Amino acid sequence: MTAAAEQGGRGAATARDVGRALRSAESLNAVLHWSQELLDAEGARVDAMAAPGSLAGMPIAVKDNIVTVEQPTTCASRILEGYVSPYTATAVNRLRDAGAIVAAKTNLDEFAMGSSTEHSAWGRVKHPLDPDRVPGGSSGGSAALVAAGVVPAALGSETGGSVRQPASFCGVVGVKPSYGRVSRYGLVAFGSSLDAISVFGRTVDHASRVLAAMSGPDPLDATTVDRPPMRVPEPLPDLRGLRIGLPQEYFPDDLHPGVAAAMERVKDRIRELGAELREVSLPHSAYAVPTYYIVAPAEAAANLARYDGVRYGPRKVGPEGDFRAVYRATRGEGFGPEVRRRILVGTYVLSAGYYDAYYTKAQQARALIADDFRRGFDSGLDFLLTPTTPTPAFRAGEKTEDPVAMYLADIFVCAVNLSGLPALSLPVGRSEGLPVGAQLIAPFFGEERLLAAAATLERVIAADAEVR
Amino acid sequence: MSIGRDDVRHVAKLAELAVPEEELERLVSQLNRIVDYVAQLDRLPAERMVDAFLPGPASVALREDVPGPVPLARPPAELAPEFAEGFFLVPRHGAMEDA
Repeated sequence: MTAAAEQGGRGAATARDVGRALRSAESLNAVLHWSQELLDAEGARVDAMAAPGSLAGMPIAVKDNIVTVEQPTTCASRILEGYVSPYTATAVNRLRDAGAIVAAKTNLDEFAMGSSTEHSAWGRVKHPLDPDRVPGGSSGGSAALVAAGVVPAALGSETGGSVRQPASFCGVVGVKPSYGRVSRYGLVAFGSSLDAISVFGRTVDHASRVLAAMSGPDPLDATTVDRPPMRVPEPLPDLRGLRIGLPQEYFPDDLHPGVAAAMERVKDRIRELGAELREVSLPHSAYAVPTYYIVAPAEAAANLARYDGVRYGPRKVGPEGDFRAVYRATRGEGFGPEVRRRILVGTYVLSAGYYDAYYTKAQQARALIADDFRRGFDSGLDFLLTPTTPTPAFRAGEKTEDPVAMYLADIFVCAVNLSGLPALSLPVGRSEGLPVGAQLIAPFFGEERLLAAAATLERVIAADAEVR
Repeated sequence: MSIGRDDVRHVAKLAELAVPEEELERLVSQLNRIVDYVAQLDRLPAERMVDAFLPGPASVALREDVPGPVPLARPPAELAPEFAEGFFLVPRHGAMEDA
């Protein structure tokens, strides 16, 4: 990428640069839709803006579960093959209003259900540093594009860690905002009480600028919170006066040695910057993955009921030939295996006789998980520090046969989604050449302090250096 | 709780999802693996159970969701497989409804 594209220079030049970069990165399979024509139109639009704004000329890729009227939105699913939305997501409109060039839609696990992109109907994304490994998921296409230097920032979405986990695997910054900070209008619904449009950046500053531009209340999403948009924070001179908790449940004895070593280095840097580290306990985080895999499939089963071959997307007609045969055949053939599995699990846990045993209990466990975080922050902690993932990027095919093994890739990230809190993953080193991420978790609407602290830490950590 | 083939067929019917017979055994195995895994929530002591959770800080109240007109770039007729005179068209209601 040229300096013009990096800095956000002339729109037309940036559009040509990004087109070349996208062509050279085709082997990653990170992009589902893009065209030079749309890139050029976006570049010209930005050049014609009287006041291009905070993202002037910055190219930003968008996960293909965020709708735009110019390109298809498929969610990497056959059931939405060729679908083009009649409206554009609020987040994308705000990025464009701030001068961003938005013209590439990225690959993902189908309907954002997965941790590797191996559940995409159009094949997995390759890790930019090792094509035999996965980039993480579900927003793996966006993560890979930022890591490969094609764009400085990209949108993903989180329901259970789907930006922080691939950010960690690919060695880029990934930020999940507080629930209610960014409008979900135009984000295809998966788990509505969990979903959050989130950001990848090559640096903390890139991610901060994008998040600031799209944050703030939206009359089209009643769950956005009436608070002013986030401001882009400056790095702090040091971290003196900050208290950072180390939840023991996130540092198990069997943590990957490279991840453990990277975390030790991060702790050293934090102490050197003057912050106090304090061991704490979040006892109910141990229940986060089982809780998530009841709540999220239950919400998904309801949200995905709309894909029925009637209102949009391709239609299949089953052997009986009536309208219910349309539902069953369209859904049976259109959804891939992981989405079918989650719809079945979600329907099962909501069905008569099982609702209290599963769904009610999971909602109660969710409250306990969130309460652990609340008590931690109420006790005076500013942030919590954990590894983002238990291991660096795993090999393709390693976890596809056992759904629970795949789910456990999100063991350190999904408690944050259940609680609605903001958090980020910062690249902090490499283990055998593969990136390792550290996670910082903040109280509700603590994004500005969180990003300021991360920017401070970013300056003293050699993210590309091997840890031992 | 163990899930059998008939349970999978029943849930698939509730979810309006065609599941080929040859996939049933694999689904039974995978769904049991998932349900057995999430059953660890049973270890949470009953006396610690609290009210259900709503995302967001406690001080935040949701606004009323007031639907209003949203301009669309293309009409429903261009999205739906079949559309006429303001209606989405589907095949006729058949015998399956009573099954």
